[in-house]
Amino acid sequence: MSEEKRGAPKTPPKAGFFDKVKEVLYGMAAHDMSRYAVRTRASMEHLFILITMGDLIGVPILPPYYSLRLLPYVVPNVATWKRRMLREKDISDAMF
Amino acid sequence: MKTSTTVVLLFLIPIVVFGGIVAFGIKMNTLIVVLAGAVETYLAYRFYAKTLDRDVIQTDAKKATPAKLYMDGVDFMPTSRGVLYGYHFKSIAAAGPIVGVITAATLWGWFPSILWLALGVTFIGWVADYSAIVISIRNDGNSLSAIAYRLIAPRTRTILFIFIFFYLLLIAGAFVGIMTALMAARPDVPLGILVLAIMALIGGQMLYRWKLDLIVVTVVTVLITIVAMSLGPVGQSSAGPGPIQKAVAGFNKAIDGITGGRAVMEVIDPTYADPRVPPPGPNGIRPTTAIFDAATGVIKTMPNYLFWALFIFVFSYLGATLPIWRFAQPVNYIGFWITLIAIGLSSLGAILAPFISPATAAFNMPAIKMPDFGFNLAAGKPWQPLWPMLFVTIACGSISGWHSLVGSTNTSRQLEYETDALPVGGGGMFSENWLALLSLIAVAIAGGAGAGAFAAGIGKLLGVIFGKEFISYGTALGFGTFMVIVLTVTQLVFRVMRVTLTEWVGGAVPVFKNMHVTSIFSMLLTVLLLLSGTWVYLWQLFGASNQLMAALSMLLVTVWLRSVGKNTSFIGIPMLFMFITTMFSILVTAHNLYVSVLTAPAFTGRGIVEVGGWAMILLSALLFIAALFIAWDALKAWQKYGAAPGPSVATAATR
Repeated sequence: MSEEKRGAPKTPPKAGFFDKVKEVLYGMAAHDMSRYAVRTRASMEHLFILITMGDLIGVPILPPYYSLRLLPYVVPNVATWKRRMLREKDISDAMF
Repeated sequence: MKTSTTVVLLFLIPIVVFGGIVAFGIKMNTLIVVLAGAVETYLAYRFYAKTLDRDVIQTDAKKATPAKLYMDGVDFMPTSRGVLYGYHFKSIAAAGPIVGVITAATLWGWFPSILWLALGVTFIGWVADYSAIVISIRNDGNSLSAIAYRLIAPRTRTILFIFIFFYLLLIAGAFVGIMTALMAARPDVPLGILVLAIMALIGGQMLYRWKLDLIVVTVVTVLITIVAMSLGPVGQSSAGPGPIQKAVAGFNKAIDGITGGRAVMEVIDPTYADPRVPPPGPNGIRPTTAIFDAATGVIKTMPNYLFWALFIFVFSYLGATLPIWRFAQPVNYIGFWITLIAIGLSSLGAILAPFISPATAAFNMPAIKMPDFGFNLAAGKPWQPLWPMLFVTIACGSISGWHSLVGSTNTSRQLEYETDALPVGGGGMFSENWLALLSLIAVAIAGGAGAGAFAAGIGKLLGVIFGKEFISYGTALGFGTFMVIVLTVTQLVFRVMRVTLTEWVGGAVPVFKNMHVTSIFSMLLTVLLLLSGTWVYLWQLFGASNQLMAALSMLLVTVWLRSVGKNTSFIGIPMLFMFITTMFSILVTAHNLYVSVLTAPAFTGRGIVEVGGWAMILLSALLFIAALFIAWDALKAWQKYGAAPGPSVATAATR
């Protein structure tokens, strides 16, 4: 689906000078830290999905009560999880 | 204005401006470099880069980027242009633009160096960075190796991996070599680096375990580290060194006592670019020191040199094996602020110097060092001809393969709009070029050679703002900044090498699944290169592999543009130039290694030096053959797509 159809802006929005400086400084100083944090969270999420996988596909592995209670937290992440898991990866993905 | 007219003008402007300064004997100063750099950057970006972006690549803000299409909340994540520019610039900025320029200026003078910096970034550098991002976003955010697999041939991916691993090894060797020499030669440097390591450990603990406020952590850790770095020369006077310098020198002497003060091995650097070689005195003659014999040119590798190499390895080992938040990340974070402060203030100093202190602003280095530009080649002697060696000695300041790797595997997956590719990729490269110009300014006003001259130049520029009394502290901070920039990349490189080794060999040899084994193995390979002794060849081999990586990235983009029926000349011509240049430079370096390392007279530790020398020659051959294979496969792909655009890239063609 194209960007236009989804009603998103056609061109990048304009930011003020100080906002730009702030963004650049954040990008230089801390963006890699937040990316690592997100990666760590994603690894945890993979484990989380793994333990509830049985109930997701209808084959209970853990006692169903506990994993069924966890499912509402898992389901919103399934779409992005699938993309991460199914994407083709190579060594250069581990570089940065 | 027609693109061809723009190209001619952009080509002629630096030649006329800098050539005119040299021809008419005008005294070069810092402000001229700043202004010329700003004008060239503006013209290149506004009239060349933007035109190609609009007319050839045709980026479109309305097209969905992989970050939006495949958003996974981790790798693929739309990020604003400003943040991404800062992130991309920090990821690509390393020791290349600093060390390369100061080495080149030392060998050939400031004129050829500044000319290549201006022309290289205008016609090749930004093109390589920007196009690596573009090819990735137009191919679903895939890495260069994955695109090569589809676009050229399956084996290209494997060859590229082998190439990248040895390229990383060369980065590690060259960077560890220069840091070790500095730590051993400068007693005012180690304290700052030791405090940096301690502050990084404490900073990680404060931030992630004690959950303290980021601003508090930043102020405490950065302030203490900067003070420790600047304190190195405290108490120093004309009568002698200060207490910290005396303590470190005493420690070095105690280490050297292990062999009774004798060298572990001896080497010769015919270019005098080794950081251990002292700069010439006022009479133009290099003095004999404890580790350098001016009469014979012999450089002694003392036990304390090996100790500081071990120190760097331990530092990198912590960065490669500890959880990233525990050490590597805080080192990078503290390092960033130190670098920003030192580079920002030095830039201000470079602008103000002609008005406040004209003597400081004047270049103190010959414009041209070799009247024959090194083309007078003698049989049986090492060669340093301007072409191809200048173009690989100045590494990341003009063009770099590291940037292509970062852009294609990391930045491209976070690009929110296609149109951001130019300000992020191209803008990042032009900013890196500024870092190289500042390094040239620093080394040219200091007048010496190597990292020492860079630090002395930074000290002088800071002295313009804070007064002459600050120069020695500013110089120490310059050394600290230099070390920080190099260290942050080195620990990342070892981390990547560890992961790569596990992926490759871990399946067949289970012991390589252990991260400590892979880290130590990578470091042992690096030691082998270090022990060849002649640092300049290691650097030039790294430069060659770095530029060749960029050429291979451009080669891939050329084939892709051909496959989608677009004009390839703006990238094909620079690619051919860089490919041929780097391949020749590898041959020249292999020749230099043979004549100056392997056939040199019998010194102490000859056997170790020979092993290192042969390891580097072997590596040269490997890189050369790998590049030839990739080029051959790419040529076949080029012919294939000339006949009919390939179905494998049909999606890219239609987007």
